Amino acid sequence: MPDWKSWTAPAAAVVSITSSAHAVQYLSIPEAQKLAFPSATSFVETQPGRAWKAEAGGRVIGLFVFDRVIGKHLFIDYAVALDPGGRVVRVEILQYRESYGGEVRGAGWLAQFVGKSRQSPLEFNKDIRNISGATLSSMHITEGVKRVLTAFGGGSR
Amino acid sequence: MRRARPLLGTFVDVSVDGGAADDMTAAVEAAFAAVGKVHRLMSFHDPASDVGRLNRDAAAVAIAVDPWTHEVITAAVDLNRRSNGLFDITVAPALQRLGLLPGSPPADAPSPIAGDAIEVLGDHRIRFRRAGTRIDLGGIAKGFAIDRAVAVLRAHGVPHGVVDAGGDLAAFGAVAAPIHIRDPRNPCRSIARIAIANEALASSGGRLDPFASSNAAAPAVIDARTGTPACGIVGATVRAPSCMVADALTKVVMNAGEDASALLDDLRASALLVRSDGDIRVSPSWRDSRAA
Repeated sequence: MPDWKSWTAPAAAVVSITSSAHAVQYLSIPEAQKLAFPSATSFVETQPGRAWKAEAGGRVIGLFVFDRVIGKHLFIDYAVALDPGGRVVRVEILQYRESYGGEVRGAGWLAQFVGKSRQSPLEFNKDIRNISGATLSSMHITEGVKRVLTAFGGGSR
Repeated sequence: MRRARPLLGTFVDVSVDGGAADDMTAAVEAAFAAVGKVHRLMSFHDPASDVGRLNRDAAAVAIAVDPWTHEVITAAVDLNRRSNGLFDITVAPALQRLGLLPGSPPADAPSPIAGDAIEVLGDHRIRFRRAGTRIDLGGIAKGFAIDRAVAVLRAHGVPHGVVDAGGDLAAFGAVAAPIHIRDPRNPCRSIARIAIANEALASSGGRLDPFASSNAAAPAVIDARTGTPACGIVGATVRAPSCMVADALTKVVMNAGEDASALLDDLRASALLVRSDGDIRVSPSWRDSRAA
C-alpha cells in the first residue's frame, strides 16, 4: 500500500485569516419576516427595530422579534418568530459577523428552540446540548432566545 | 441564496445557486426540514428522540425506530466492524464520564470495546445486547443530516450548492466550492484551501468556540479501545462520497492515523491529518485540488 505523504502547504495557502472581519448577510428584516409568516399581510412595529406583530386580515398571527448576540469574536443577528401562544416557530440567522474571515467554515454553536415557550424554559444542559457535545457558544444563543421569550413570550393578544 | 438556522447544536448554512428564487426557497425550506427531522430523531439529549428511547429501553426490548435512525445505526455498526472497533457509537458513557455529554453514565455500562453491543433487526428495530449500553450518534448523524439535505436540494432540481453544519459539509453540482481547512492548533490560520465538488468533507480536532476563545479546546474524540481522549493527532479532515462516511471516518483517523489507509480506500475516502508535532500528512489518494 502506498505511503502517506508529508504535505507542505504552499506558503501562499498558509494564510492568516484573522485580518479582516467577515460578515455573511443572510436576510434583511423584511425578508425574514416574509419567510417566517408567508401569509401575513402586514407587520406592525410594536417596539422600534425590535418587535413586530404579524397580521393577516386584521388578525394577529404571530410575533417577530429581532435580537443580537454579542460574543468575543462575533456578532449574530437573528430573529425569533413566535406563534400567538408565545411558542417559538422558528429561529433564523439574519447576519453573522466573525473575525476569522473569508470563506472559512466551521464555527460550531447553537441548537434548537422550536416549540419552546415561556412555560417550558430553555435549559442549557437538557434542551440545547449539541448532538455531539455542546460548545460554550450555544449558551449565548440559548440565553438570547430565553430573553426573547421572557420579554415577548407571553402571547401577542 | 444563502440561509442559516440553528440546528444540530451548530449553525447549519445552506447556500444554493442556479435556480429560480421561488424554487430555491422551497428547496431550502425542505432541506432545513430534513435536518430538523434528523435532529429530533437522533438527539442524545431528548428522551423522546429515537436515541433517547433506545438508551432507555433497548437493552430490555427491541425498539422500532424511524427508517433514518435505522439507516444511521446500521451504517455505524458496519463502520464499527470495518474499523475494528475504532468507530463506536457506544462511547456515550465514556463521553458522560468526561463531561462531554450530560448525565451520569450507568453503573453497569459495559466497556466500549464491546463491539457487538448492537443488534440491528428487521422492521426497523434495534436492540442492545447488554444492560447499560448507551449510544450517541453525534459522530455520524450530522454527516447524515447533511446528506439528507443535499438529497432534498437535488430532488428539488437545485443545480448546485453547499450544505455546511459547523464545518462538516457537502457540495453538489457542477460548480466546485472553495473551502479553507483551519489549522487545528490555531483556528485563525488556514492550512489549506481546496475545491470540492460532489463530495463531502468533515473535520475533527480542536473544538473552536468563537465566543470564548481563539484557542482550540480539547478534541472530543474518544479512543473507543481505551475510553480516553485520542492524542498524537490534533486534527483530521476526511473527504468522502457521503458526509455520513466523512463524519464517521474523522474519528477513525484521529485514533488510527496512517493505519486508517485500507479503510479509507474501501470507502473511497481520503484524509489529511495534522500531527501534534506540526507535521501535515495526506493519505495516498488525497487529491491535490487546491483552489485558485
